[in-house]
Amino acid sequence: MEYYADIAIQIMFLMMLALSLNLLVGYTGETSMAQAAFYGIGAYTVGLLTMPVAVAGLEIATSSGVAGGAGWPFWPAVLISILVSAAVASAISIPALSRVRGEFLILMTLAFQLVTTQLMGSLTSITGGTFGLTPIPPMTLFGQSLIKPSQVVIVVGIATVLTFVFCYRLGESPFGRVLKGIREQETAVRAVGKGTVLPKVIVFGVAAGVAGLAGALNASYYQVAAPQSFNLDVSILAIAVVILGGVANPVGTVVAAILLGLLNPVLDALVGAEASAWRGVIYGLALVLVMRYRPQGLIPEHQGPLRFLRRRRRRNAAESAAPARSERDRVPGAAPTATDAAASRPAPEVVLSVEGMSKSFGGIKAVSDATFDLTRGQITALVGPNGAGKTTLFNLITNAITPDQGAVTLNGTSITGLSISEIARRGMARSFQDGRLFERLSALDNVAMAIPDQRAENPFILTVRPLYVQKRERAVRQSALECLQLVGMHADAETLVADLSYGDQKLVAIARLIATGADVLLLDEPTSGVDPSAVEHVIDVISDLRAAGKTICLVEHSVHMVERLADRAVFLDQGRVLAMGSMKELMARQDLKEIYFGA
Amino acid sequence: MHLISAAGASPSLVLQLVVSGVVLGSFYALLGMSVSVIYSTTKVFHFAHAFVYTAAAYVALGTASVLGVPIVLAIVIGLIAAVVLGVTIELVVYRSMRRSGASSLGIFLASLGISIAGPNLIQIIFGPDGRNLPVGNPALYTVGTVTFTTWDIVTVVVSWALIGGVLAMRRSRWGLASIAVSANRELSAAVGISPQKIYVYAFAVGSLLIGSAAILFTLNQAATPNMGLQPVLFGFIATFLAGVGNQKTAPLAGFVLGMVVSLSGIWLSQTFQTAVIFGLLFVALIVRPQGIFRKAAV
Repeated sequence: MEYYADIAIQIMFLMMLALSLNLLVGYTGETSMAQAAFYGIGAYTVGLLTMPVAVAGLEIATSSGVAGGAGWPFWPAVLISILVSAAVASAISIPALSRVRGEFLILMTLAFQLVTTQLMGSLTSITGGTFGLTPIPPMTLFGQSLIKPSQVVIVVGIATVLTFVFCYRLGESPFGRVLKGIREQETAVRAVGKGTVLPKVIVFGVAAGVAGLAGALNASYYQVAAPQSFNLDVSILAIAVVILGGVANPVGTVVAAILLGLLNPVLDALVGAEASAWRGVIYGLALVLVMRYRPQGLIPEHQGPLRFLRRRRRRNAAESAAPARSERDRVPGAAPTATDAAASRPAPEVVLSVEGMSKSFGGIKAVSDATFDLTRGQITALVGPNGAGKTTLFNLITNAITPDQGAVTLNGTSITGLSISEIARRGMARSFQDGRLFERLSALDNVAMAIPDQRAENPFILTVRPLYVQKRERAVRQSALECLQLVGMHADAETLVADLSYGDQKLVAIARLIATGADVLLLDEPTSGVDPSAVEHVIDVISDLRAAGKTICLVEHSVHMVERLADRAVFLDQGRVLAMGSMKELMARQDLKEIYFGA
Repeated sequence: MHLISAAGASPSLVLQLVVSGVVLGSFYALLGMSVSVIYSTTKVFHFAHAFVYTAAAYVALGTASVLGVPIVLAIVIGLIAAVVLGVTIELVVYRSMRRSGASSLGIFLASLGISIAGPNLIQIIFGPDGRNLPVGNPALYTVGTVTFTTWDIVTVVVSWALIGGVLAMRRSRWGLASIAVSANRELSAAVGISPQKIYVYAFAVGSLLIGSAAILFTLNQAATPNMGLQPVLFGFIATFLAGVGNQKTAPLAGFVLGMVVSLSGIWLSQTFQTAVIFGLLFVALIVRPQGIFRKAAV
């Protein structure tokens, strides 16, 4: 009985480590190699806090030569352990997580893991050295010390269930949606006006905090904290559990933790002293084979026993949505015809002005001294041959690429040098030539990501005000559905974007852009790759947007489309603005025509 | 255990640490070169490099002490084993994953799997205890107050010879082709360079270098199944400190790392080596994210 309880406890520790790590690896797409280090920090913290205070002149019973602890009661010490782990994690992760490349975090956490184990072994006067910190007082519950595994298993069991519920809810919440967005397309999350560094740092801290809790429980259960329990092997084991179980799937993590956790007793019986080496071989190979042949893991993200929850949601959405694509809603505020609206409009008002924008890559001047304005309620097209610098200009305006020179003014305020997410929050958003959708998210979630001012995405509010969050999330989903309705994609709201046709994906991208609520929309080739029947549809949507008062700038190759849509065109060649005017005027000029068609 | 080693550094101690710094720095430079050759060309976070390192040392000492093969031949066999292993990992694991559209994170995780399975397999075969290469004791030289051994000289000479060789090869057809692939894979393929071949070449060269580093290490110290982890980490740190994709400065960054670690011995004990490097990485990421030798990105 006690033997099995002990095995169960070990497996549950592994579950806690892996469930919280899955938030980082599975949902956010970042890898931490230091999960065991935070596990250890929790263990040592609880040890140092709960061990009895040293009395001068009296040798206390520490076999490890550590003078003594702080003599705290158990539970407050556990709380501090969680906080210490989370705080250390957040602090070390900020420089690595400010970058988009995941390799920085891998490198940083790997180094941190090795430093931590090394210091645990060498700072003997604090940690007790290689033999560990001991004896750590056992955990207590209602004034009773719990020593037997059959007692401890209850406490650890409750902690594991709470961890599961917490991680599952966080992952499936609006905050989890942001995390998945970061995993799929970090730049696109920024482009719809959200910062990505803070969510990453928070989730890294949360994963470390849960590891700290597991470590605190571990240390008081075994009554010892020793470096070898918290080394890199343990970190990698936790990663293996996540990968094997299936990324972003907590149920899979639980199953995999049981499978890999049972390896220990089985191997102990089979090979005795070499058990740990065999275990390393087995889970190492499992990692390779899974990544090679089944990268989605045993239970993939959108499957598993809990999928009925999602199905129900999907059905509800499908029922409320109208079936046919053609029954597209009009953009609210759109006048019957665009020309009428334009005619009734008062004097043109400059919304965005770009001045002297320049950028060189090496010796090539991609954009050179580009100056133009966007007028409210008008569609301005950037035209020119391939390589003229149109997309680069978009990148410079939104500061996705830092310009060498130039200034951008939006509604009279300078936005030069602001981040792309800040610019989006101030009312100018862009789409990408290649879509940059969140492929493994539903169309609805893609659009919901862009709805501004989502306090429900704050994990703190998420925890303390779940009802508010539910209500708010319903409203967000409703607005997202309305945006999809504008482009006629509401029937596919719950379809994963990866399963949509290319043309439909482009429509979802436009819906996502609309959802930002921005007044100035930069559209990068909205119809390239879209089949001709759908092109008409996109043209209608864009002219509706103009009629609704949006200011639009688009990069487009099709002369036909520009002629039909654009009020004005800016002609670019080799990074220079050569001419401005209506498309008809520009195409009447022989020199421009030659450049454009390469005649 | 003292946090601070002998206070008040004497000039002779500093001189000795500079000499050890040159040796350690040369070794780290080799590690940095090795990781950088693979990473800058293929963008694979080849963590299994740690296993290639360990394997080279164990094959060499296994053939020498178990099979009784002459030591020089055993070393050559160890190096060949490293190249074969590195190239095999690329061909069998990474290439097929790339074909099935795996993400770079996915490839890293597979690599991590190899790096954990491999050394454990070595532990099952050879046991967990340290094993020495049967090379005997090196001669000891004393110049003034500074001492060093034959192996120190060998380490410095071999490391820089290999680094020089690789840098010189950058002018060759293969070298130029690798630079092209590392700059733009698709465009290189369009002008007739096969990225697949270049990848194999990068893995072969990188594995040869890491194998050599492993042999140099085992001249001085015992090999253990986990010996590969730290050097490969340091190699990666050098690569990232130099600025990703900057092959020429990776050895330089490695050398600086070695020097800093060694000179930190004036104030800190040896056990804080990794902590010093971690601190360096942390600070560098904050103040010079583009790499320590690179001008700020324009």
